[in-house]
Amino acid sequence: MAIIERPTPALTTPAPVVVTAESSYGVFRRPVHSTGWRSWVFTIDHKKLGIMYGVTAMFFFLLGGVEALLIRAQLAGPDGTILSADKYNQMFTMHATTMIFLFVMPMVAGFANYLLPLQIGARDVAFPRINAFGFWTLLFAGIFLNTSWFLGGAPDGGWFMYAPNSSVPFSPSNGVDFWALGLQIAGLASLTGALNLIVTVINMRAPGMSLMKMPIFTWMALVVQFLLVFAIPVITVALFLLMFQRSFDATFFSVEAGADPLLWQHLFWIFGHPEVYILVLPSFGIVSEVLPVFSRKPLFGYPFVVFSGAAIGFVGWGVWAHHMFASGLGPISVAVFSISTMAIAIPTGVKIINWTLTMWGGKLKFTTAMLFAIGLIIEFTIGGLSGVTHSVAPSDTQQTDTYYIVAHFHYVLFGGAIMGFFAGLYYWWPKIFGKMLDERLGKWNFWLMVIGMNLTFGPMHIVGLQGQPRRMYQHTEARNGEGFFNIGFWNLIASVGAFIIAIGVLLFLINVYKSHRKGTPPAPLDPWDARSLEWMTTNPPKEHNFDQIPTVHALDEFFHRKYEDRGTEDHHDYHQVATAEDVIAEQEANADAHIHMPSPSYWPFVVAFSLPIMGYGILYSTMLIIVGGAIALLGLFGWALEPSTAIESDYDPPPPDGPVSTEVVVSG
Amino acid sequence: MSRAKRFGIAAGTLLLAAGCAEDAPQDTWKPAGENAQDIHDLQWPVFLTAGIVGVLVIVVLISVFIRFRDRGQPIPEQIHGKPALEITLTAIPAVIMAVIAGFTVPAVMALAETDDTECVVNLTGQQWWWEYDYPVSEDGTICGVAPTSAEASPIITSGQLVIPTGTKVLVRGTSRDVIHSFWIPRLNGKKDIVPGRVHYLRLEADEPGIYAGQCTEFCGLSHSNMRMEAVALEPADFQRWLDNELEPYAAPAADTAAAEGETLFIQQCARCHQVNGLVDDKGNDDPADDAIVVSAPDEFVWSGAAPNLTNLMTRNTFAGATWDLLTENCRDDVWNATPAEFGAKYLEGVTAECLNEVDLREWLRDAPAKKPMYADPEELEATDGKFRGMPYLALSENQIDVLLAYLIERK
Amino acid sequence: MFTTGSKLLIGSSVIASVAAALYGVTQKGTLGTIGLVSAAVALVFLAAINVYVRDSNVSAMDPDAHATAPAARPAPSPSLWPLASGLGATMVAVGVVTFPAITILGLIVLLAATAEWLVQAWSERASADPAYNATVRERIAHPLELPIMGAIGIAVIIYSISRVMLGLPSKTGAVVAFVVLAALVLLVGTLTSVRRRLSTGTIAGVCSIALVAVIASGAAYGLNGERTTHHHETTGAIAEDGDCGADETEADENASQNVAAKSNVAATITLTADEQLTYTVPGFDGGGFADLTLPRSTSNNVLFRNDSEEHRRLSIDTAGATAAEDKRVVCSALVEEGGVQLLTVRFDKPSFAAENPYQFTVPGVDGAVLPVVVP
Repeated sequence: MAIIERPTPALTTPAPVVVTAESSYGVFRRPVHSTGWRSWVFTIDHKKLGIMYGVTAMFFFLLGGVEALLIRAQLAGPDGTILSADKYNQMFTMHATTMIFLFVMPMVAGFANYLLPLQIGARDVAFPRINAFGFWTLLFAGIFLNTSWFLGGAPDGGWFMYAPNSSVPFSPSNGVDFWALGLQIAGLASLTGALNLIVTVINMRAPGMSLMKMPIFTWMALVVQFLLVFAIPVITVALFLLMFQRSFDATFFSVEAGADPLLWQHLFWIFGHPEVYILVLPSFGIVSEVLPVFSRKPLFGYPFVVFSGAAIGFVGWGVWAHHMFASGLGPISVAVFSISTMAIAIPTGVKIINWTLTMWGGKLKFTTAMLFAIGLIIEFTIGGLSGVTHSVAPSDTQQTDTYYIVAHFHYVLFGGAIMGFFAGLYYWWPKIFGKMLDERLGKWNFWLMVIGMNLTFGPMHIVGLQGQPRRMYQHTEARNGEGFFNIGFWNLIASVGAFIIAIGVLLFLINVYKSHRKGTPPAPLDPWDARSLEWMTTNPPKEHNFDQIPTVHALDEFFHRKYEDRGTEDHHDYHQVATAEDVIAEQEANADAHIHMPSPSYWPFVVAFSLPIMGYGILYSTMLIIVGGAIALLGLFGWALEPSTAIESDYDPPPPDGPVSTEVVVSG
Repeated sequence: MSRAKRFGIAAGTLLLAAGCAEDAPQDTWKPAGENAQDIHDLQWPVFLTAGIVGVLVIVVLISVFIRFRDRGQPIPEQIHGKPALEITLTAIPAVIMAVIAGFTVPAVMALAETDDTECVVNLTGQQWWWEYDYPVSEDGTICGVAPTSAEASPIITSGQLVIPTGTKVLVRGTSRDVIHSFWIPRLNGKKDIVPGRVHYLRLEADEPGIYAGQCTEFCGLSHSNMRMEAVALEPADFQRWLDNELEPYAAPAADTAAAEGETLFIQQCARCHQVNGLVDDKGNDDPADDAIVVSAPDEFVWSGAAPNLTNLMTRNTFAGATWDLLTENCRDDVWNATPAEFGAKYLEGVTAECLNEVDLREWLRDAPAKKPMYADPEELEATDGKFRGMPYLALSENQIDVLLAYLIERK
Repeated sequence: MFTTGSKLLIGSSVIASVAAALYGVTQKGTLGTIGLVSAAVALVFLAAINVYVRDSNVSAMDPDAHATAPAARPAPSPSLWPLASGLGATMVAVGVVTFPAITILGLIVLLAATAEWLVQAWSERASADPAYNATVRERIAHPLELPIMGAIGIAVIIYSISRVMLGLPSKTGAVVAFVVLAALVLLVGTLTSVRRRLSTGTIAGVCSIALVAVIASGAAYGLNGERTTHHHETTGAIAEDGDCGADETEADENASQNVAAKSNVAATITLTADEQLTYTVPGFDGGGFADLTLPRSTSNNVLFRNDSEEHRRLSIDTAGATAAEDKRVVCSALVEEGGVQLLTVRFDKPSFAAENPYQFTVPGVDGAVLPVVVP
């Protein structure tokens, strides 16, 4: 393809090989930056991706929070007029969609991405480029979904998007299409991420780390990844049917063509119920890490906690129809699902009991992280118990689709997932960023959030039992009643509570700003006297995580390296024999030679970028599908041709550490 | 401890909710009939158990926080678990759940029984109102009640479901468009009403009165404006209601505003709204030219139906039971009437003095402005040009006056 | 950073994109836009490859290598692509005067051959090591070559076989022929695996002959045309064709006699052994009500169960009209004894507005009538 040839002098001797194909990559030379924005955009480092997942999730948390505040402002008084019916429907649909798919799931992915390799003593995940692809796909899906606000209206069918209300005659804007396509794209991110982490945990654990010596957060995250692998395909099928129903005139949910709209409900909830555990189990894992550290005791009944987590994962597949007790399934189905729902309360109860017994006899230190963990136990217990009340199917027919359910799942998800995340953020912040978050502000943050959440969601129990249904853009004086249980009054309280939560979240942001101002001292190496492997490296960890891959002898390996048991047979008597500095110094002294990490890449970004383009194409123009497809083809081609590590000639000037070697094979 | 306090309030709420007299009309803890009572008998012990367990867990936790807080004690013993203790503690919730399940299953079965039905009412949901029709049984009765004079024919009404007290009513529902949910909390739990399927629900009211309800399955734009009421009447009152429903159409006296209203109704409203027995005389006196007015809502609205207005003023709400036809005082008089007085007050219907003209006029002036209904004629492409509710009719104030005069006589 | 050649291609792709955008905005009709967008995409792709291989002129940025680079040396090796390109060009020309299909085929051949030629030419200059050059070529070309060739191969085989199957004189004949063929393939495969000493050449030979035979017979049958196939009527067409009678129509032959996943239908209507229509509805057994009540303006799903001893269908005029041309009759397919079928009915008018009362009937059975009330 030489378009411009140069005159070449005659050769007298056979030419020595001085130029190879690799040296001619041109602008397609792969990115090798370790600083600047390109080091983030093209990174495949699980830690950077974990942080980006976290930042993205926090952004969508704020967005979903603003949506929630608008909803609560609308409902603060009777006949609210802040939002129109149409905007209100869009608002609650997007609040749920954003919080579930764009906040909690990415946050879980962020924690798992950042911590899993560190907790199992690995240098990265199994497929680092797929990992980057997952992140960008998720981000683009989120942006794609939210552009619907400006393109004729956001989805307005509720996050459950029941058919046939999701069909074109009932929802004529493009919102539902954005929803169906955006979630399909986001599903791709979850699925690739899940497979990646499963392979990582199964294959890349440090020597000596058997499954039952694995940190509990890793265990819970692993269970969640399996749930994702099985749940995402179900929702994808449902979304696919919906996409064809709306965009290509299929009749999967058209009653006049013989369809049964309950098909959607079954598909949605077979995904939807395991999804609940996808959202909450990681936080159980976080709390199970935090409680032992601040109780200075190992997790009580580690195998019970592990197996109850796995049991929740299994039984979670057999309870979906409890979302449909009022759907007219018939008494036999209702009875069966009622009982299976009650059964799932048992492994959940086991966790509460084990957390309590972990603290029993301990030496409790009430740091902010510990407070959030305790907050989770109490709030989740309340949410779990209100859950028991509607596992009783006849009782559920009075409560379902009322605010009582809204109260229940916010206690479970805000009190469960979000409390857990904040416990994790305060606990691992020094690990991730090398700075301590301020404890005094942290406690303000905790108390405002916990008081705010109880003020917001507590009254919803009352208004729900007083008969206020969900998803109503207005409540009227006529149905509000009077006296202590007045629906209007408790709605106002709930709205006040929502703004208190908002102040709590704001304090967290202020705390982050404060701790990262210039001049704040770096965090100590081991601020909490922690127990697990991720603390056996610097803060923040080096790019290759560990100088020496640790050999694991026990659950709580780090604790056992710091403390020695001087007791006799039955009597344990632990004494500190080493500090974290000592342990890490020893690691550094025995550092592995030739540590070798995979290099950054453009291609995951490029391939992920093609997906929303194809999405817009389905909605607006076939042309865009072709363009998106071409970009995807180009990206996959580049990806396939690219070696996992950059060669010397990619660097300009040559890489700092001399020739690269290939001891660690990481592909992706 | 603020958390404990909040929980106390919440638990107290759950227990007290049953006894409070001024609660919201959709209070789920105030059963007024057998089915709701069955549910209530099942749910209050469960709430109580949950409350006790919750308080116990929180008390234990707080005592742990106090007892084991860091007071400079040495590193605690590193206990990894005690399987016997764990198994015992796992068994306790398992036993509690088993007991609850033991009561739940028979209740589920009992609530699904239908062979004791005494009265059948068919229910059809659409965006955003409910239609009820009363089929006539072989022996010429409706709901087990024989009409006094007229021969029984199917009755069709909307908004307010009238049932006799002490009668086991079976509501059989289907939908014309999306999924709705029928819920009268004081009479029974809710049941989704799904297009293409027929779902049924038992209702029974012990005492006369109005029992409020609300569609509880998200059904689109005006979901929150889709309400319903069950009106329970003593059997004798129910008979009177029935007789009134079956009375033949009474045309307004000639040359009154109401007669003008009738003409306007035929031109404008009767395209969708049926008034049984309404005859169009085509503006002449020739009886041969008269034609029965048949509405064709299937040509104008997507769901294919509009409320039957034959006896509009016997009901005291309109537009999906969202607005009152009665002024506030008259409304309170009926809604808060004692069971003994209720029947008479309800059967009085809407009188000219009691008519809530404000809301009704606003509605006739511009219905979509009052109740969001996707009524913009420009955006009906997805529904083949059909409306999804009542459109804007551009009526003049004078036209509204005569329509009101006509409508007030519909009872 | 950008070489001369890539500047040309990048410039061309920018112009093509701008032209596409301009054309798309100003002109009606999508064909021109499709063409221009395709051109732009193709040019971008070419530009990307060209940037990637730096004009295939490895020494462009390196004066020292200029003297020593293998690119400076001629690298003649036997190549199929000039021949293929020539063939393609000829086909384009021939197609213009004969069949347009040949032009399209020629264009594809021309494009493919040119692309292969470019890649080969570039790869031969990559280094002085021919073996290395070969791997470079493969790394670039295989990811595209293999899937496309595979897809073409599969398409050709499937198309040929389908032509033969549709061309054989009868359906049974096609089934028999291909059972025999499949058995033959199995037999040959088994023999091959047993006799391990067969050379690759022999196997390749046999496969090639088989492939040629498949394509040849496909072509022969394809030119010969399909046998006349019989199009089955669907059950939905019975009512449209006005065949709601007692007689069996062709669509009835293949009608299913059971219904899956239908619960909570509006009514189950049964033709009893003594040829009466009875019904049950969910919730209660219908006792006490002579007529079936169904709401207007909605899809009512009704199940028809035939307990009589004849094949029967359920029929109803949903318009309630007297004049034959106004009737809107729907009916189920003919149901066997003990069979069940679903019928979806929708009434737009209430009973009192219909000229004739609504009633379910069973064609051929006089007494079997079930009145329907539409309130």
